[in-house]
Amino acid sequence: MDALFLLIPLSVVLILAIGVVFWWSVASGQYEDLEGPAERILTDDEHLAP
Amino acid sequence: MFGVSGKRAAGTFAAPVAADARTGVCFHCATPNPPAARWHATIRGEDRVFCCAGCLAVAQAIDAAGLDAFYTARTAPAPRPAPNDADLWTRYDAAPADWSRARSDHAREVSLLVEGLTCGACVWLIERGVGRRRGVLEARVNFAMRRATVVFDPDRIRLSEILGEVAALGYRAYPYDPRQREISARREAKALLARTAVAWLAMMQVMMLALPGYVSDDGVAPSHQRLLDWASLVLTLPVIGYCAWPFFRGAWRDLRILHLGMDVPVAIGLAAAFVASALATLRGGGAVYYDSVTMFVALILAARYLETTARQRAGAAIERVARHLPATAERCPRWPIARETDVVAAAALEPGDVILIRPGASVPADGAIVDGDSYVEEAFVTGESRPIARRVGDRVLAGSLNRDRALVVQVEAAGEATRLAAIVRLTERAASARPRVAHIADRAAGWFVGALLLLALITALVWSQADPARMLAITFALLVVSCPCALSLATPAAIAAATGALARRQVVLARPDALEALSHVTHVVFDKTGTLTHGRTAIENVTTLGEFDRAHVLAIAAALEAFSEHPLAHAFRPFDTGTVIGEGCTVVAGHGVAGSIEGQLWRIGRAEFVGALAGASEAQLNLALRKVSPRATPVFLGNEAGLAAVFACTDTPRANARRTIDRLVAQGVEPLLFSGDREAVATALGATLGIASVRGDMTPEDKRAAIAAMQARGAVVAMVGDGVNDAPALAQAQVSLSLASATPLAQWTADVVVLADTLSPIALILDKARRTRRVMYENLGWATLYNLIAIPAAALGFVTPLAAAIGMSASSLVVVLNALRLARGERDREMRRGHHAIVKG
Repeated sequence: MDALFLLIPLSVVLILAIGVVFWWSVASGQYEDLEGPAERILTDDEHLAP
Repeated sequence: MFGVSGKRAAGTFAAPVAADARTGVCFHCATPNPPAARWHATIRGEDRVFCCAGCLAVAQAIDAAGLDAFYTARTAPAPRPAPNDADLWTRYDAAPADWSRARSDHAREVSLLVEGLTCGACVWLIERGVGRRRGVLEARVNFAMRRATVVFDPDRIRLSEILGEVAALGYRAYPYDPRQREISARREAKALLARTAVAWLAMMQVMMLALPGYVSDDGVAPSHQRLLDWASLVLTLPVIGYCAWPFFRGAWRDLRILHLGMDVPVAIGLAAAFVASALATLRGGGAVYYDSVTMFVALILAARYLETTARQRAGAAIERVARHLPATAERCPRWPIARETDVVAAAALEPGDVILIRPGASVPADGAIVDGDSYVEEAFVTGESRPIARRVGDRVLAGSLNRDRALVVQVEAAGEATRLAAIVRLTERAASARPRVAHIADRAAGWFVGALLLLALITALVWSQADPARMLAITFALLVVSCPCALSLATPAAIAAATGALARRQVVLARPDALEALSHVTHVVFDKTGTLTHGRTAIENVTTLGEFDRAHVLAIAAALEAFSEHPLAHAFRPFDTGTVIGEGCTVVAGHGVAGSIEGQLWRIGRAEFVGALAGASEAQLNLALRKVSPRATPVFLGNEAGLAAVFACTDTPRANARRTIDRLVAQGVEPLLFSGDREAVATALGATLGIASVRGDMTPEDKRAAIAAMQARGAVVAMVGDGVNDAPALAQAQVSLSLASATPLAQWTADVVVLADTLSPIALILDKARRTRRVMYENLGWATLYNLIAIPAAALGFVTPLAAAIGMSASSLVVVLNALRLARGERDREMRRGHHAIVKG
């Protein structure tokens, strides 16, 4: 059970890191247009090239 | 009308569009082609047919630019191209600082509102089409917001060329200046999303760490429990310090003005639970409530986030209002000696100025026509969908659209003095006088908090005498167990669940407390044109009067009407054979069209206009008029030999209007019809749809007064409207609804916006509102019962802090789960039927 003393702090650090990454993704405006990118990926240049 | 073209047939294109000449629809915009289509082009090596020269030009431009892959990737038809506004665009070049922002020495950024985006392929087309132009550094389209951001080098490309490129691709773009308010609202929404997500992340993790304490039979080893507590403390810190920050700020603001708002109990509950937990952790033992704290914050933030996003989407309509008033005007300083013009800001116009309004341009100020005649579309100001003929001496209103020919207008009122501005102010005044259910709830919570704080104080004092060692634990237990989570969550959770459920059905609640008002609604008032009807005319009946047969008179009528842009003329478009060709046709504004066909002189239009050519007596005209039902608009056709036919043109009711009315009646709600149209037309429509109470010939003020009178008799009125003429009535009604096709101002005024262009969600909204109210009462009842038992028990020392935390969490969970019932269920026939109607409509 001693592994918990390593794993739980590790999980806390991981969660904090995820939180920071998510905060950055929101701040950089990635959630402002949730429809466009989903469509854009389907209409990539390679797929559209005649 | 603006912006409706792109919405046509939404939902009918689930798969990529297989536009095909054989199907008889335009390859570009998928509207039916005229019988003998005259526009052909070779696109991607195949011959394609188009409905008009505009679509043809756009398709050729797309093909020539090598962007033809658009046609295989799109999932909805393209919009019909807008008329060319090259004159208007060049004016934006004159003052680049007004429309674009400097990014660097050689880069400026412009924000564009784009009309006509229908699917992802449009995004691709515009980004590639504009992006490949020399001098364009970056082009990004935000599909959700219908916006584009273009970064360009002003030395190499002009703004007008960018707008021209968008237009060449078949869309219409306007530069706009994002207002400060919008920027700050966007920043707030972003922060709220980040706070909500961080709180949920922390909540899930803290719940996991709290689980051992709940499930282990013989308790967790003390060393492990301390580890779990410390980990929870670290994870709860950002929740308290970052996520819950708005609650603390709000509570501080409330306390400074000695007001016990909803944020106060939330903040005190959070602070008490967190401080107690943190002290216990630091001391190395005792009860902790991190799970309760994080769950509480996560749930409340989620509710607020749902409300905010719904409100913002509806609020975007405000911006579209500004677009209808042009930013610039063309002034003729030397009128009437010379017609040359200079461009001035519309806001700088003064009464007495003479301005030129080109065809296709919006009117910048109220005024009287001094030269020219034209059809003017006032739908934006008066809600009247038909263009109205205006000639010298007539007034034109700011915000209306000049359709046909150039007008010279002497300004009577500009800026804040215009009728449009007056309507906006009237709306604002009525809106600010609305009863605010939210305030009542807030006051009730204030009393609850005040009583609770007093009780906590008394408890602490009593126990400090009776048993000082237990004082702290019992006071905390009291604050935690009664932490008004259940009470303060009861309403927002139910509203959030209902808001989310309605949003999935294309209904946006612009005002969160609209649900409360909706649940009490006793009367629903409908506007006619554009709400109960489509706002599009169709030929209902043809009565032939001469020797010509039905098909022949329709062909002649269509040939003549092909020269007119009047909405009645659109009813004749499907009958244009292309074989009967009119020659020398002239449009006589307000009367009709005259022209010669097969060597004969013909007229179509008003009775007296046609009668004058046909030599028909008044008795003959009246006899013919009797063939037209009172709810229809008569259109006469005749030549020098006499009358040939009379057409009855009607605006068709929406396919689901009757069923919606029936369902409202079944719910015990009385439907009413208030119309600005003729009494006879309104009554006939009311009879068709089963509406007993019908009133016609009403001005916007009449509608508002009628609703006020009903309210005085105790009615709770919901108003469904679409035009600016409905705006005062929409504001007067306790709750207002508008459809997707409504004018921006109506949408802005409305509490509830139905994003689908269909009436069917209206009965659903009322039903949902009533169920929401029931759930809210259940939740409040449960919370009251819980608090009535838990608070005295805690005050008397029967509740340990741990039991208090579990009790509080369980109580909150009951409330939330009950509220979530509103989000689930009844995704049944109601929904499918509604969706079906959208596809058909």
